[in-house]
Amino acid sequence: MSISTPGGPERRPTVVSTGKKPAAGRPASGAKAGADKSTGATPRPSAGGKGKGPRKPIAPVKVSQGRSWGPIALFVAVGVLAVAIIGYGAWAAFQGSKPWEDRASGIDGVVNFRKKDPELVKGSNHKQGSITYAQAPPVAGPHNATWQNCMGDVYDAPIANEHAVHSLEHGAVWITYRPDLAADQVTKLRDRVQGQEKMMLSPYEGQDKPISLQAWGFQLKVDNADDSRIDEFIKTLRVNASIEGPTANCGPPGITATGTTPRDGTPMPTQ
Amino acid sequence: MTAPTTTGPDLGEVTVTDEGRPSAARRFGPLAVVAAVVVGLLLGYAGGLLTPKLTRPGDTSAEAGFVRDMTTHHTQAVEMGLLAFKGGSDPEVVSMGGDIAAGQQGEIGVMQTWLRSWGLDPTGSQPRMAWMPDGESMIRDGLMPGMATPEEMAKLRTAQGREKDLLFLDLMIDHHNGGIHMIDGILDVSDEAEVVRVAQTMKNVQQKDLENLVAARDRLKG
Repeated sequence: MSISTPGGPERRPTVVSTGKKPAAGRPASGAKAGADKSTGATPRPSAGGKGKGPRKPIAPVKVSQGRSWGPIALFVAVGVLAVAIIGYGAWAAFQGSKPWEDRASGIDGVVNFRKKDPELVKGSNHKQGSITYAQAPPVAGPHNATWQNCMGDVYDAPIANEHAVHSLEHGAVWITYRPDLAADQVTKLRDRVQGQEKMMLSPYEGQDKPISLQAWGFQLKVDNADDSRIDEFIKTLRVNASIEGPTANCGPPGITATGTTPRDGTPMPTQ
Repeated sequence: MTAPTTTGPDLGEVTVTDEGRPSAARRFGPLAVVAAVVVGLLLGYAGGLLTPKLTRPGDTSAEAGFVRDMTTHHTQAVEMGLLAFKGGSDPEVVSMGGDIAAGQQGEIGVMQTWLRSWGLDPTGSQPRMAWMPDGESMIRDGLMPGMATPEEMAKLRTAQGREKDLLFLDLMIDHHNGGIHMIDGILDVSDEAEVVRVAQTMKNVQQKDLENLVAARDRLKG
């Protein structure tokens, strides 16, 4: 009966309306039951023990208390379960779909220019002619109107920064290597690039590590093509790092010619 | 002895005092009922939150594999189509090139949006074609079924006039045949309604394209 309601007033009138004897004893103990466990529990055994005429008035109190704890425990249990499920869901959602930015920052050695130099990464104008970049290889900034073809192209000679930066803007990961990198190491890089759109590979004169990876606003330099961070960088940043979304074009009229001098006004030049 | 006596008066009392009020509230008290309703709503809310997350395609699912691989496949068709649109000489080749480039680029957008809504990266961690039974055995030189080699693409880029037209038609016919094979692969294994619907649409378009590509090639070859 009304266990969890300490509101004795509501309970009392209903009992009174029965007009039975128990009415007198019950409201008092009923109110107690709601307010205090221990005091409500103690009268029980003694009441049952007496077994006299007055046992009726006391017995109902005992029943109401017995019933009260079952549902309460059930609700608490279900409530705890519900909170646990919601909590787990929130945690899983947070972990599973951690934003790529967070995962990128978690790659050991990655340089995040979105934090370091937000202006550089915002997006940039097209410029003709040679452009000086603060990073080698560059990671963002103004660039030539034509992008370097980044359809999994493997370039065997250096390409122009001005075109390559435009490819980065379109979501490409550009892998560069020092020209003295061992052939088998180059092959391992080529295998990651060939046929994979939004990827390109080229040798790069004068970079300070054997291998460097560029995405728009991100850079990672490593010593060895077996470094697992290379794949981590590609998975996390390819397309994701683009400020133009996944449908930016890496194909025609992208330039496929090599050479470090940018080409202006030459639509779809060929080698 | 206690049990019968307790239930006796208890039941009697409930019936007497019930007076048409809800027995649940009577029995457990309004607060308990409210708590039960709140807990029920929370459980329903949690279920509603979790169900889409638990049932959407995961990082290694066939759907995610198909979407990533078909994006790569489509991207090359866009490249071919743009080359034909820009440098083709036959009017039908030019218009089909533009049509295929624009159409498949649109489908890439649809597929990439799925990946985003599934909380997945555009780049997978599985080998190419791993989502399709025996898929990995269909790869030649890292290329999926029907895809042109870098040499063929270089040739398409530099070819001129009628040679370019015919090369485009040959390459695109192979490309569509390979594409349809992959689409059949996802239609066989997926029950993701939207994926199946769009894949079926892709197949319809490419089958229709194929008829026109073959007819154009026959016409150009005379």
